[in-house]
Amino acid sequence: MTSKGPLHGLRVLEMGQLIAIPSAMKMLADMGAQVIRMESIHRLESYRNASLYENNSEGAFWNRGANFYEQNRNKLGLTLDLSKPEGLSILKELIKVTDIFAENFTPRVMKSFGIEYEDLVKIKPDLIMVSSTGYGFDGPWANFGATGPATESASGMAIMTGYHNDMPIMPEIPYIDYTAAEHTVFAIMSALIHRMSTGEGQFIDISQTETASATVPEALLDFIVNGRVEPRHGNDDPVMAPHGCFRCKGQDKWITIAVQNDHEWKTLCEILNIEEAQAKSKDYSSTLDRWTNRNELHKLIDNHTKDWDNHKLTHLLQSKGVAAGSVMESPDLLFDKHLQDRGFYEVVEHHPSTGMPPLPYASRPWKFSETPAVTPKAAPIMGENNEFILKELLGKTDEEFDALIATQIIGSKPTQGTAVRAPDPNEQLRQGRMQRYDSDFKQKISEFYGTDK
Amino acid sequence: MTNQPLKGIKVLDLGHYIAGPYCGKLMADMGAEVIKIEPPSGEPGRRLAPFIQDKPSLDSSLPFFYLNSNKKGITINLKTENGISILKDFIKKTDVIIENFSPGTLNNLGIGYDTIHSINPSAVVVSISNFGQTGPYKDYKATEIIEYALGGLMGIFGAYDKPPIKHALNQAQIKAGTNAANAALMAVYWSKLNGKGQHIDVSIHECIAYGLRDTTSNYTYTGAVRRRQPNHSGDLTRIRQVSDGFILPNPNVNTSRGLDWDTVARFIGSEELIDDRFSTPTARLQNAEELGEILDRSYGHQKKFETFYKAHDLRFIYGIVLSAEEVLENPQYLHRNYFVDVRHPIAGDIKFPGAPFKLSKTPAQFNSIAPTLGQHNQEIFTSVLNFTEDQIANMRSAQIL
Repeated sequence: MTSKGPLHGLRVLEMGQLIAIPSAMKMLADMGAQVIRMESIHRLESYRNASLYENNSEGAFWNRGANFYEQNRNKLGLTLDLSKPEGLSILKELIKVTDIFAENFTPRVMKSFGIEYEDLVKIKPDLIMVSSTGYGFDGPWANFGATGPATESASGMAIMTGYHNDMPIMPEIPYIDYTAAEHTVFAIMSALIHRMSTGEGQFIDISQTETASATVPEALLDFIVNGRVEPRHGNDDPVMAPHGCFRCKGQDKWITIAVQNDHEWKTLCEILNIEEAQAKSKDYSSTLDRWTNRNELHKLIDNHTKDWDNHKLTHLLQSKGVAAGSVMESPDLLFDKHLQDRGFYEVVEHHPSTGMPPLPYASRPWKFSETPAVTPKAAPIMGENNEFILKELLGKTDEEFDALIATQIIGSKPTQGTAVRAPDPNEQLRQGRMQRYDSDFKQKISEFYGTDK
Repeated sequence: MTNQPLKGIKVLDLGHYIAGPYCGKLMADMGAEVIKIEPPSGEPGRRLAPFIQDKPSLDSSLPFFYLNSNKKGITINLKTENGISILKDFIKKTDVIIENFSPGTLNNLGIGYDTIHSINPSAVVVSISNFGQTGPYKDYKATEIIEYALGGLMGIFGAYDKPPIKHALNQAQIKAGTNAANAALMAVYWSKLNGKGQHIDVSIHECIAYGLRDTTSNYTYTGAVRRRQPNHSGDLTRIRQVSDGFILPNPNVNTSRGLDWDTVARFIGSEELIDDRFSTPTARLQNAEELGEILDRSYGHQKKFETFYKAHDLRFIYGIVLSAEEVLENPQYLHRNYFVDVRHPIAGDIKFPGAPFKLSKTPAQFNSIAPTLGQHNQEIFTSVLNFTEDQIANMRSAQIL
């Protein structure tokens, strides 16, 4: 079904970087909003110059960055130098025809350009403006820059995660950027619905750290009410056992298993051939016994999973009603029959100038029955839609447009910044930074996704 | 009381446990009129630890308290024909229905989406499930750890030589609740324009799988399969122990701001580091072990807040690892009034985690604590469905409420 999406007709101006705002605006773009993404040719975003297709740093490398493509699908691309008055004035012309203006710079930057909410609301009285910052738009930490791991750290969340008697540990992605993006979309949709009934716009201030705190209420309230701070528990569950991640056959292959009751425990024992004597021994007879003796129990399970293929065991356990799941590697995800059946990875075609083939990207965690997402279009190459935005939307003449190019207020290539190549594959493998390299990945992808035709 | 953005939007929250209730909570905090419908025995979320003073009861679960405040609570036995017929009466008068039963449950109860749509064509139904409403895994069981594994996050989470690990608590569930609320509001927006409702299928599994920066792309771009990283002791941005906790260093060496190694080394606090063995990335990699020892030693005697503030004076974007207790006392949280004052009948006057977004004209509000089981039966059945006292009493004795 083709669709314009539920948000068709809305226009968003994005002054974003990295994930927190770009990911949120991508969700709006996927669902039909026209999102104009603004960047400067004089400040190359780090998502444009790293994780390059085929690790190729030649030519227009800034149009081949994986992170940029992941976060900016379905957006229009505009370049604009806000440090020049002409650039600022174009921004303000755009604000006049914009419903939502979203940015994730520090308050200091917005103030220096004179584009805070108070400035812009004079031009567009019903503007909805969103600021997403590490620690919030006001307060003593307002101008402290932050990364995803930093917001996870300060929120009360990171300290709870890790192996027993070991340091706190965080995932190898800026996880909270996504949490912040999700809460940002919610705040924007609330403000839009309010504007619909009242005509009133407003300023939305997102603290990424607070969004993380909002996801760990159990821990915050346990301290507030009971005065308790839990130590790090690894993969242990407060109730279930066995509950954890167990080694399987092959290099770094794992399965997770979560047993919720006696029946599931019995089934698990049958499938793993855990001998009756062990399964029925007093130590493991009830949920509480299993939990109390979970350390030995988990060793026992490990001994019985280690010769299994993790995927085979997952499907066998699930078919018998035991919650289990392989730790999925990238190709496992990309070639998974369930995600394929749901069309979770969407094939996106890239601009011809990039030389990149169509590639699958993760889509969204939802499906709408009446207004599905729009047909995916790749993130813009730098300045891809300058002409459409400036001439068609703002009515600039050819002469005005050319003058903007000549003065480098707009453009299609960065004036600074260099490509960051990943270390050589052999070096990465030697250091253990990558599991492996599949030399035939292109063929596997094009065959599976039918892009080889 | 100021205006609230979702005022007038009516939500039936059939959610249980965490994901569905968090979706309803977000809307309730923004002023939607959320009616939480539970079975007469109470939903499983009431049995979620931790409890107030560690005393389990249907009204003392702390997660339940967080997830269901600002909602009205009623009970309906959906396993009875009368119960379903009452639910249908409510459906006629609602804008949004939230549910996170196993796929197929609503159909089996006789209130699948098609039925709901025929009763109320403008209703938005948001269904949250472990793996979505369709596909070969739709009936698979899941808990947090299963979603983390099958969703791909676990493979890039943990120590190189240890099993993959997951976040503490219930991130996947909360993520699904947030995405469900987002999708629901997009559909409400469209419904307000077109008068048409729709069915939304949210997969908890996909909530994890969509947000894995540069993981599947690393494969599609270069054929590389990511994994948990080796412990490079010399990594400048690795979490470090200090004398009173942990910090997350981030000395932006050689960035556009042009900070040279000597400046960074002096900031870290060790003259030993001002040496050719450490002054370039290649040199640092070659001497990683020694570098790691020096870093551990230098940071080891520092104090986390001192280092954190000193770093931000120089615009090094260091992070600081805080506990729940420290979050409560944090000057930034205090300034922004993140925690609100709430009076709870069992816990007393306490702080409560507020909304993580500030809307200048329509801020979130705390209006009421999570309902006790069936607390609003009388009020809601009378005001929404115009039931008489007798009717309510009859339903109660027939165990429908």
